[in-house]
Amino acid sequence: MIPLLQRPLMLLTGLAFSLVLCLAAATPCLSADHTPDNAPATLPFADVAERARGTQVRWYMYGGWAHVNDWVDTYVAGEMKKRYNINLVRVPMDAGVFVNKLLNEKAAGKAVGNIDLLWINGENFKNAREAGLLFGPFADRLPNVEKFVDPASVSHDFGYPVDGYEAPYGRAQFVFEYDTAQAGTPPADLAALKAWIMENPGRFTYPQPPDFTGSAFIRQVLYAVTGGHDQYMAGWDPDLFAEKSPLLWKWLNDIEPYLWQKGRTYPKDSAFLDTLFSRGEVAFGMSYHPSHAQNKIIEGSYPDTARTFVLRDGSIFNTHFTAIPFNAPNKAGAMVLADFLISADAQLSKYQPDNWGDFPALDLERLPEKERERFRAVDLGPATLGSDVLGPLAVPEIPSAYLEALEQGWKAHVLDR
Amino acid sequence: MKHGSTLALLVLLFLVPAVILVLVSLAPAWRFPQVWPDAFSMKGAAFFMRHQGQILGALGASFGFSLLTVAATLAMCLVPAAVFARNHFPGKPLLEGLLLAPALVPPMTFAMGLHFLFIKASLADTLAGVVLILAMFSYPYMFRALVAGFQTMGDEYRICARNLGAGPLAVLFRVELPLLVPAMIAGGSVVFLVAFSEYFLVFLIGGGSVPSFTGTLFPLLSSSNRSLAAILTLIFLFLPVFLFLVLDLSLMRSYRKKGMI
Amino acid sequence: MSLTVNPGSGKGARLLLGLSPLLVPYLVLFCGGVALTVCQSLGIATPLPHPGGLWDAYAGLISDPAFFASFGFSLWVAGASASLSVATGAFLAYRVWKLPRQLAPLSLVYKIPLILPHIAVAFLVLIFWSRSGIVASAAHSLGLIQGMHEFPNILYSGWGMGMILAYTLKGTPFAMLLALALLARFDVRQIQTAAMLGASGPRIFFAIVLPRLAPALHTGFIILFLYSFGAFDIPYILSESRPGMLSIHVYNLYFKHDLARRPEAMAILTLMFCFAVVFIVAYSRAVARLENGGRKL
Repeated sequence: MIPLLQRPLMLLTGLAFSLVLCLAAATPCLSADHTPDNAPATLPFADVAERARGTQVRWYMYGGWAHVNDWVDTYVAGEMKKRYNINLVRVPMDAGVFVNKLLNEKAAGKAVGNIDLLWINGENFKNAREAGLLFGPFADRLPNVEKFVDPASVSHDFGYPVDGYEAPYGRAQFVFEYDTAQAGTPPADLAALKAWIMENPGRFTYPQPPDFTGSAFIRQVLYAVTGGHDQYMAGWDPDLFAEKSPLLWKWLNDIEPYLWQKGRTYPKDSAFLDTLFSRGEVAFGMSYHPSHAQNKIIEGSYPDTARTFVLRDGSIFNTHFTAIPFNAPNKAGAMVLADFLISADAQLSKYQPDNWGDFPALDLERLPEKERERFRAVDLGPATLGSDVLGPLAVPEIPSAYLEALEQGWKAHVLDR
Repeated sequence: MKHGSTLALLVLLFLVPAVILVLVSLAPAWRFPQVWPDAFSMKGAAFFMRHQGQILGALGASFGFSLLTVAATLAMCLVPAAVFARNHFPGKPLLEGLLLAPALVPPMTFAMGLHFLFIKASLADTLAGVVLILAMFSYPYMFRALVAGFQTMGDEYRICARNLGAGPLAVLFRVELPLLVPAMIAGGSVVFLVAFSEYFLVFLIGGGSVPSFTGTLFPLLSSSNRSLAAILTLIFLFLPVFLFLVLDLSLMRSYRKKGMI
Repeated sequence: MSLTVNPGSGKGARLLLGLSPLLVPYLVLFCGGVALTVCQSLGIATPLPHPGGLWDAYAGLISDPAFFASFGFSLWVAGASASLSVATGAFLAYRVWKLPRQLAPLSLVYKIPLILPHIAVAFLVLIFWSRSGIVASAAHSLGLIQGMHEFPNILYSGWGMGMILAYTLKGTPFAMLLALALLARFDVRQIQTAAMLGASGPRIFFAIVLPRLAPALHTGFIILFLYSFGAFDIPYILSESRPGMLSIHVYNLYFKHDLARRPEAMAILTLMFCFAVVFIVAYSRAVARLENGGRKL
């Protein structure tokens, strides 16, 4: 007869060993490699949608914005379930990190991974394309893209040809944020901003490149101090860069002693800058999303008096996209999701400031009149500038080869100086 | 009261932060220069309730892989600890030092090298991979606890039981393992805590496929949504406390009654 | 099947068999992992074919002053936080040990930071010590400062104070735990005798208690130092841009830059590993020489 105490003990040790055995046994099952399914590249979309029914789609995207996560988890996941019986799993991961992950997997020969859809653009898209990490072309065959997207607006991403390897998702434009209760009128252009920074030491900073927002900020400054964006549109020109970038470094180094923490340290990412702005430690925030401030007001992190402004020198805009990795286990499902995201319903829902406020990537002129009205009727909230203000000042993004050069240059000439 | 200063110091250093966490979780708009929050709101709690499925799922996953790590380290260390405690052989101190190394050297140094191998072996992005890597750097705590346990136990009980006619299996299950339970719990608690709190290794090897509670908490910490971060941190605090209370009141109490601790 | 190895024939083989559940994973995963790190730093077995020479990554590091600045900074943060933790832990452990029995359960609050994960402790430091934080608010309400900007710059002063505070908050209870374990077996009569002979409180602490605590404190110092040196969680939240901690630099190289820079990341990791080993050996030897060979680890 085994005493009462030893019985749970035997259970404990038996459990421990069997758990380990189970793990060892399960590993081969978990890692069973299937051959990649590239058929969706050629099938008609109706068949693709049929294949995708009842499957699971794993979407890897930047997870730093709670309201966007919410919108994806509730509206998008709900609609995918309702319309296609697709189970959507959102996984938060920075774009640079998942590109790295795919690179590792490609080098390791992993034919079937675990990412179906990516939220990606710009430099990351270019790196992914050049390393052969993406599946496609698929975007041109999505019904909503064929019907409602202006091909000229999505032909290039940061100067790199898209070629149907990514589907449009939304539009972003760089804005600054300020608190009307603290600062009076915001500076009108970059020169005025520089003067303001020098008169108010310690009240301005920008996220450390290669953070997405920080990197965009230095591109803004580059355009403004080197005479505009047109000269860069032709493509990567190392001589041009060598000639013009010292102007940028000079501007950034000039303001450095007047920055928050005297420029000795920079916020490590845009979320951190948001916190500094919301707590009043700095006077200006910045974001690549025009509706960011309004979202934060709704969330309760920003004061109600926060507003956005743009500089007269122009504000960079870009389109952001979704793409499918080469080793996605469920390419059909990913295509269906990408198509849904560019549908009028999803774009309208995304445009609502209560959900996200991201500008639509559709060409509104191609929509039926009724749909167009619904977009026009959206109230973006007091903190978001409308496209009537943003449109005229929009300037295109720089070809992405300049990005890595700018980020490395910033580290060498501004941070480590 | 001369102990007052000690208690005051303890409370200030260790208890006040926990209290502040509770306040932050209830007051998302608490900012300078308020020493006490002006406005309380349930926004953080409401956010938590809306996402409780996902958050509790991550909590359960963390809990699960931490337990599995304890089981794995137990399986790895039980017999070797006995060998170590009961034998002398040349090079034993050196070997012991080497075996304890994974807990000392920065885990990044071997985990990042392993990552590529794990991808090739299809262990990356799996629960098994995460448990393996967590076991690899937390087993020294279990090992030390078990060696100490065996040394405390000594050989007498086993020899006595053999002399009384017990077979080897009975000796194992009815004499040795019960005596080891305090050591297993001591080592297991540390391993559990270490695995439960780990962020980087789970993120590196798990690759987003293995949910974890730290992974859910992490992005919130540098965001401006502080009350949700505070709520999750409090859960982090209370879960192990709750577990240890349960363990303490059930198993350890019976051991104390028997005078085995 | 008992858990002892019988002396006699085949002892070596049976020893190895007994040790195998640990040795096999150790060799494959730990030693294998380190070996792979070293290989990748040399350009072997990297994801992308390595165009340069074997020692390119190391040459690049040695000639980069930013690397040495980061290394030195990591050493400073690790040393300062470990020393503070051990000192505070020893002092508090002694005070806690002297508490009367009824008050002893209250002292368990010291275990709170032990349970919290490192990232949560970093969060606490942020809440308390940032310029817009609680201590600043308290100073403001006491009239010590008029605005946020008069509050001293604790977190981003360039000295890594934020990280040191966080590591100390996490490390002090750990040191207390180790010290209390030793104090539990301490004979209180030694202290009573010293007090009767006229020794003052501090004298007793430094002359009698501290030497007895030394083994635990040395162990604690090694563990805490190496942890603070190479960990990622706390620096990711509290790190400063310049100089940064080595672990963050490795993270950026591994995840955010071209795969072609992988050998650089691995080279830093290899150097960190070698440093850790050298530190353990050197420190243990130095302490053993001072204390005539007591077992430290």
